[in-house]
Amino acid sequence: MRNYEIMFIVNPNTPEEEVDKINSQIEGVITSGGGQIQKIEKMGKRRLAYEIERHREGQYVLFVIAANGEIVREVERRLRVLDAVIKYLTVRTDEETRRLEKMKSFRQKRAARRGSSTRTAVAELPEQALEEDM
Amino acid sequence: MAQQKQYYRRKKVCKFCVERIDAINYKDVKLLSQFVPERAKIMPRRISGVCSPHQRQLTNAIKKARNIALLPFTSE
Repeated sequence: MRNYEIMFIVNPNTPEEEVDKINSQIEGVITSGGGQIQKIEKMGKRRLAYEIERHREGQYVLFVIAANGEIVREVERRLRVLDAVIKYLTVRTDEETRRLEKMKSFRQKRAARRGSSTRTAVAELPEQALEEDM
Repeated sequence: MAQQKQYYRRKKVCKFCVERIDAINYKDVKLLSQFVPERAKIMPRRISGVCSPHQRQLTNAIKKARNIALLPFTSE
């Protein structure tokens, strides 16, 4: 199981219920394949940074899921088929979160080792910048 | 040498190191747009002062954001 974020843009003219229908359809694909849904977020209408199929706006939806590649492939296929969906993006997030956790624990360990002296170490950078300013 | 100069060039520091931002997320348009000047190009390190590990993450995040129309590829 891997963690993914799937974000897609729905045609701005589709009504709210239609978007919900798409969401529940995608949800069904994921859960029936054995994946878990951690979050479904409707991010609302946003201006697009560039035109897609003549649209300047779009409704953004974000899925945060734990699934395998098979499910993701199926979800992407569905999104491609749906006419209301104008763009989608899948990002794998588990490697990134693992890296962040590692960094966090490393930082904590270092802080514990140095004890009270960490505070000065943290302040080092801005101090340097200040000195050079003068 | 430095004294001969008329003005002093401020030493640039990496924003992400100073503010301890570990995760550069593609959804954080506000943060990313600081590194995307008008022409919608990615700001080079020599101008922004971002350190190379963070520049790499930043570049990836900007490219993802472009793909989902949060940031422009070009500006007219």
